Amino acid sequence: MSAQDYPESETSEINLVTAVRETLAQEMRRDESVRLLGYDMGPIGGVFRATENLYEEFGEERVIDTPLSENGILGTAAGMAMRGQRVVPEIQFLGFFYPAFGQFMYTISKMHERSGGEIDMPLTVRIPYGGGIKSSEYHSESTEALFIHTPGVRVVCPSTPAETKGLLAASIRSDDPVMFLEPKSIYRVGTEAVPEEEYTLSLDDARIVREGSDITVLTWGAMVRHAVTAADRVDADVEIVDVRTLSPLPVEAILDSVKKTGRCVVFHEARRTLGLGAELSALINEYALDRLHAPIKRATGYDVHFPGHQTEEAYLPDEQRAVDAIEAVMSYEF
Amino acid sequence: MSQWSESRPDDDFYRVLAPDGTITADPPDLSEDVLRRQYRTMRLSRRYDEKTRSLQRRGEISILSGSIGEEAIPIGSAAALEPDDWCFLTYRQTPAMLYWGASLERSIAGLMGAEPETIDEHLPLDDEDAPPVNFPPVYVPLAANVTNAVGSAMADRFGDTDAVTLSYIGDGSTSQGDFYEALNFAGVFDAPAVTICHNNQWAISVPAHRQTAAETFAQKAEAAGVPHERIDGNDVLAVYEGTRRAVERAREGDGPTLIECVTYRVDDHNTADDADAYRDDSQQEYWAERDPIDRFEAYLRSEGILDDETVESIGEEIDRRVEEAVDRAREVPDSDPQRIFDNHLKTTSWNERHQREELRAELEGENPFTDFTGEGL
Repeated sequence: MSAQDYPESETSEINLVTAVRETLAQEMRRDESVRLLGYDMGPIGGVFRATENLYEEFGEERVIDTPLSENGILGTAAGMAMRGQRVVPEIQFLGFFYPAFGQFMYTISKMHERSGGEIDMPLTVRIPYGGGIKSSEYHSESTEALFIHTPGVRVVCPSTPAETKGLLAASIRSDDPVMFLEPKSIYRVGTEAVPEEEYTLSLDDARIVREGSDITVLTWGAMVRHAVTAADRVDADVEIVDVRTLSPLPVEAILDSVKKTGRCVVFHEARRTLGLGAELSALINEYALDRLHAPIKRATGYDVHFPGHQTEEAYLPDEQRAVDAIEAVMSYEF
Repeated sequence: MSQWSESRPDDDFYRVLAPDGTITADPPDLSEDVLRRQYRTMRLSRRYDEKTRSLQRRGEISILSGSIGEEAIPIGSAAALEPDDWCFLTYRQTPAMLYWGASLERSIAGLMGAEPETIDEHLPLDDEDAPPVNFPPVYVPLAANVTNAVGSAMADRFGDTDAVTLSYIGDGSTSQGDFYEALNFAGVFDAPAVTICHNNQWAISVPAHRQTAAETFAQKAEAAGVPHERIDGNDVLAVYEGTRRAVERAREGDGPTLIECVTYRVDDHNTADDADAYRDDSQQEYWAERDPIDRFEAYLRSEGILDDETVESIGEEIDRRVEEAVDRAREVPDSDPQRIFDNHLKTTSWNERHQREELRAELEGENPFTDFTGEGL
């Protein structure tokens, strides 16, 4: 659970969006049924270039430029997945997902269950999410809770290039539908050595980013790096848990960490009320309350629409907000 | 702007049989066996609807939508399919499944509320008994099936198979975004997808002229660049022939078709509906004269394919078959409550394991709230 389960192999220094692209290419080469579906994916390679050069390598029937129609993309992807294709639809921004909720709720999340397990829905919906790129309205959503509340789908959120490769490959190979949330603000922030050979990571486990004994920070996606730099600034031994598989939740890893440290901060980009932090706080209340030395605090976005780019920094959680939350929880003793 | 007449829609459509069963166009080239099978399935569907409705009234079945008066559409069109084709139904096309030999008892057990896993366990289906045409679970959300059907057809087009995917909607469904999105994708990708619209003039209580200001539902395909046709939906031979042509075009790589089948919902929308509240029965006589079974039977009698004796023996056989199916469906035990946790994901999660345990405790009279450590009850 704790160690990175990456293979020993040659590595290359790549960023997160390159990891997405290379993993898509790898999976398309190994399995002919893998098809990408979305708009602007072809010759320009996606607005974030996550599919760059794939159209040239695999052609228009495997990198499928569709009409501009999110519900149509998900609905036809669902039909293709029902027919044995391993489909990877792209929604350009999470803020554009909402027209697709019909197909998401009616078919993608439910077909396997309502067919009594007869029909699989092996699709991985790739969605860039979150703020921090000073974009326009509807381009910075972090509404992952809407997916997490829905049974029958997995929600996965990587935080590094190496995690992206293993989690995306595992998602594409999974016979469950996966909502794969890509933290677009860190698409190109930094590189790391990513093994070149194929590997997958568990879709049922958290990653312990750093071990500590005083306080647990539960976080994911673009917030993980702020948690790491915050941990270096505080006078406490901080354990950071990258929840990474937001649904189903890796509850055991979460409870184990909080029971060990006795303190917890949930650090997420989404707005607070009924965000995933609320669920995590409730879980710990139900199963580890007597191990806590202080209340759990949620360092999150505010309960507002995502603001314009002049004010988004005020909205977004950052290293300082994480430091403040950790110090506050460390300062309190029941 | 045109105003629809729901009671007597414009009959400018393709028709083979006049309401009295006489021929008005060349009939399709079908063997007597196939014609009898279509007729028998229409009778079986009608009996199935009558029987399940009475079971609903007795409380054995929950809310129910039937196909009475509209049997020609699912049966005529599904008969144009071939083994290994795909067919995405809504709740009003059970007759399409029955045409291809779907199990009556499994359908009835489903209506009685049994979970699919329970039905598989107690009314198992051998491979050789399964319908040769593929039927995904019946869809309830309007037009969601069409989008999936087009995806299915795209998979066949990209995969270079020659299967065709058929899907059904009602006139109300053409007001949904899914309908247009599906047709648009089908047109763009030349998908071998045939979409049949039952224009039965009513979307629950809302009449067709409140669904669209267009002159026909078929012409809605125009905007997607998809060929379209309008057919007499109470004429099983016209529905068969129109669908056959569309299926053949799709199979040969010539892309999708939308077919509007003009009919009338003579019954309530479902067993919770009361059509008397929003329409009068003056239309009933007009539509009774257009009943698809009577019309087809008159034709088959005139051709010497049916006579009193065969009609009677088919009726007796159907009655017996439906009663047997109800008896077998009744023998399926109630589904295990733990089945509600089945088949969400391919693996179990901590939450699933814990919630299963909580439900077990509750069912056994224990207190399910006593885990304070996460280690289990």
